[in-house]
Amino acid sequence: MMEQPHDLTVDAPRTWERPVVCVPVLVALSLVGGRFPSFSTEANVYVFGAGGVLIWLGLTKRVQARPAPERLRSGAVWWALPVVVFGIFEGATFVAAAGDDFPTFSRLADPLLEDRLVRSAAWLVWLSAFWGLVRR
Amino acid sequence: MMRVLAIGGFLVGLALFGLVEWLARREGSKIPTLGELCGYVMRYEVGPVPVGRIGLFGFWWWIGWHFLAR
Repeated sequence: MMEQPHDLTVDAPRTWERPVVCVPVLVALSLVGGRFPSFSTEANVYVFGAGGVLIWLGLTKRVQARPAPERLRSGAVWWALPVVVFGIFEGATFVAAAGDDFPTFSRLADPLLEDRLVRSAAWLVWLSAFWGLVRR
Repeated sequence: MMRVLAIGGFLVGLALFGLVEWLARREGSKIPTLGELCGYVMRYEVGPVPVGRIGLFGFWWWIGWHFLAR
């Protein structure tokens, strides 16, 4: 049998990296995370545990990574626009420290995150984005 | 009034993130997607230390702790 040049071979993703496996796992982890209220020991342990495992996976490169661009296209500067707008409001509300009269983003999010379903959805967003970073 | 301004500002910021991502995903766009931007940042290394990966992982870990644990 003829051997393929290494550059032309593509490693198939491992079973647990396939969406059919990792999506239900992320949903299940999010539903569990949504049960833990803010400031609880369980929430802290869960965030540090889940984040720690994902960072370990990402730094040891045990997950098949997508190829990263060697240089950015010229339009990358457009990303500064949302970052600056968001940063200005976060900075201004933080410095003003005016409480509910001029709230920071996290102060606005806190009451929403008290709902278990919203909290689970936030967990899903956080974990999915983290998984996306690990695969980069 | 200031509360409405803050809420409006954050919503505009979030909408801009969505808008730029949508523009980036168009055929032939010169704007990289947020994923590509993160991938580029994560390539940054100082010697053997993957500074870009550590920085982004650390930032996202802190975001999770800030919103979901405290």
